[in-house]
Amino acid sequence: MDIGLVLNTLRDPAGVPFYPIVFQALYILTWALHIAFVLLALGSIPLALIGSAQKAVDENWKKLSTHMTQVAKISVSLLIVLGVAPLLFTQVIYDANWYVTNTISGLWVVAFIYILILAYSLWYWFYYANRNNSPIAGIIGIVSFVAFIGAGVLMHAFANESIQPEQWMNWYAPNGVVDTSGTVLHIDILRLAFMVSLSAPVTGIFLLNYVDYTSKCDGYTAEYLAFVKNLGKKVAIVGLLISAVLFAAWVLTLNMLFNPLVLAIVLFVLILLFMVIKESNSYITTLVLVVTALLISTLREVIRMNIMSKYGYSIYDYPMNIDWPTVIMFLSTFVCVGFTGVGFMLTLAWRAGRTKGLYTADGTVTKLANATVGITIIWALVFLAWGLVVVFKNTL
Amino acid sequence: MEYIGLYPLFYFPQIGSAWLMGITGSIHIMASHTSVGAALLFAFLAHKAYKEDRPELYDYMKKYGMFLVIFSYVIGSITGPGIWYTATAASPRGISALIHNFVWVWATEWVFFIVEVIGVFTLIYTIGKIDRKTHLKLTYMFALASVSTLFLIIGIISFMMWPGTEAWYQTGSASDAFFGINTFPHMFLRIGFMIVMSAIIGFIISSSLKEKELRIELTRKLAVIGMIGGFTVMMSFLWYIQTLPQSAWDLFHDVLWARDGMTRIIVVSIIALYLILAFALPRSINTVLAVVMMLVIGVIGVWPGEKMRESMRKPYVAGRYIYSNQLIARDVPGKHVKSEMALVAEKGLLKLDPFVPDHLRTITPENQLEAGKLIAKIACSNCHSLEKGAKFRPLPDRFPQMDTATIETILTDVVAAGVRSYIPPIKLPTDETKALAAWLATQN
Repeated sequence: MDIGLVLNTLRDPAGVPFYPIVFQALYILTWALHIAFVLLALGSIPLALIGSAQKAVDENWKKLSTHMTQVAKISVSLLIVLGVAPLLFTQVIYDANWYVTNTISGLWVVAFIYILILAYSLWYWFYYANRNNSPIAGIIGIVSFVAFIGAGVLMHAFANESIQPEQWMNWYAPNGVVDTSGTVLHIDILRLAFMVSLSAPVTGIFLLNYVDYTSKCDGYTAEYLAFVKNLGKKVAIVGLLISAVLFAAWVLTLNMLFNPLVLAIVLFVLILLFMVIKESNSYITTLVLVVTALLISTLREVIRMNIMSKYGYSIYDYPMNIDWPTVIMFLSTFVCVGFTGVGFMLTLAWRAGRTKGLYTADGTVTKLANATVGITIIWALVFLAWGLVVVFKNTL
Repeated sequence: MEYIGLYPLFYFPQIGSAWLMGITGSIHIMASHTSVGAALLFAFLAHKAYKEDRPELYDYMKKYGMFLVIFSYVIGSITGPGIWYTATAASPRGISALIHNFVWVWATEWVFFIVEVIGVFTLIYTIGKIDRKTHLKLTYMFALASVSTLFLIIGIISFMMWPGTEAWYQTGSASDAFFGINTFPHMFLRIGFMIVMSAIIGFIISSSLKEKELRIELTRKLAVIGMIGGFTVMMSFLWYIQTLPQSAWDLFHDVLWARDGMTRIIVVSIIALYLILAFALPRSINTVLAVVMMLVIGVIGVWPGEKMRESMRKPYVAGRYIYSNQLIARDVPGKHVKSEMALVAEKGLLKLDPFVPDHLRTITPENQLEAGKLIAKIACSNCHSLEKGAKFRPLPDRFPQMDTATIETILTDVVAAGVRSYIPPIKLPTDETKALAAWLATQN
């Protein structure tokens, strides 16, 4: 099999509707956002479970458990919705990789969805069972956690298979016998371990954010805040050290230890370590963490590009048919609806969370609320008018 | 070596991989329709609660919201990407065609998803914690964002049936593909069903309320809302079927309606009677009945409807230019897409599919049956199960007790000739037709 010829033949004949580099940049950005919430969910679930087990003897753990349960709940929701974007963009420029993987691992791909539904539903069950002090709450929570891990392992396997085009035919038709069962599954344990280990620093730094935010709210004792701060610091430091070791081992297997991007990631990990030890402003530490996540996302993409270029596949020469109307629709919606809508809700939630009793919107929040509703109405009207014009143009 | 862009095959025995997509899709439709319908209901209730100063309605909204988060935003949000996942496994070129045409539309819908997901949590957890006017604006924004997700997906689903006119084939513009002639009737059809579902789900919460008067009032109001939704569905459906392509209409009229028409009438009658009962005797709607009816309506209302729509699309899977078996059926000059049918007729699937093992590229007496089986999988398994007596469209059952020569004649004179409008008229080289016929003869 001429892998390069196959990869280029598998490209969608309709081409891409915009410059491939834009899809690539969006992929890197949105994957970093997605993985941030994956890691937060994976880190907050065990904390919630430990807290649940300790709640009878330790008030601090009891309170933290309740909050971490909520954090996990919302993180999973966000990781799903944020995961849609990289899923979309990778299919545009790496369609061959994505679709081959999903067909040869088809059964696991279908199973992934139901495992994730099971995991998330069980987590809601845990939430209610834990609140009602049910004796089976812990078991439900653990099963949920295991199912989440299972879903994560599957997702990792798909990514790992997609960058090994030289193996596809061996996996699909071992010894020349076609296997259409979709049961192929291959894991890179080192890469997986590194990615999972990142959940510790992400969760640790989140706990430091949590302390900074709640210290301005009523109802949190100094003892509780000190407990969480200490825990967050420990989790972040130990997590950063473990992640650094696993990262070095992983890039060593790729012969990329001295790649400038890899060195930049190491540098940022050291900066993070220093900031956590020095107890720097947690929000600034989070910004550094975001940059690190973007660098890791970029490294993943560089690894994929290097592999694909070996076979003569470059996303930059993907045939293009630019579709300006929908490009404009996306950009205007992203900027106008996305920024105002999310800005409004996050500002509202932030301020309401810090207010004791009823929060009455101030001028800024009211303006944001009015703008969001107004912009969304205008958006819907423009969309419908555009549709009517197109339908009439094409039928009359 | 010359290839066409066919992917490896994933085949799920007995039911076929395409039906896995149908199952995930139906679950998603139920959950997502409920979520949009409920967002509209939320806005209506919040408006009423604010204008009439009815704080008790906020408690109802909170309960409804929690149910919604668990039901719609767990199952709905996972099965949404789940449709992509199963579609990529079952119909990679079909979903690829949609992605490469509509990526920016989907990206736009994603913006609204973000607003929706953050919105639903903000909406529920701020009830009673922020001033009601701001909360009302939040519910308006949430409803608008939810409906916008419907606006943005409906043209893509409609395109799967057909682009409606010749414009898109010539221009390749996503807006010509998106706004076809059945996009708007389809939109109203879905909105109507979403409103029905919001009432059906709403009964579960209203029936659990302890305060009797509120329970009766809300159950009645939901029944009226459900009836409005149901009426919208009926009228839009009549409009929708007028905008179908001829082959879909023929299949609907001559085959599907003759077979399933009475079932559909019974389904509509059950929903109508349920809504009338809720209006006339609101106390009779208890939580158990409401849950049972939600499941009944979800299963008998969504699954057969979606099955019918999927069937009507045959033999195409997207835009009436890609067949269900992933072959490109026609030229699309606007996108520089070329039909693959002449090449397949000349060289055959085994030579052109990149994922065929080398020893099967040339048919010999020794490998004829193995080659025939692989051809059946490539050409037929997207619509047919390959096992005799299987659940969905078993292929061997179409050729009962026939010998190789008879099957070969049918494959050539009926299937390849395009006599059946819902079967792709694929012409294969003689040796591939013979191999397929030989394998089928061993299966019946």
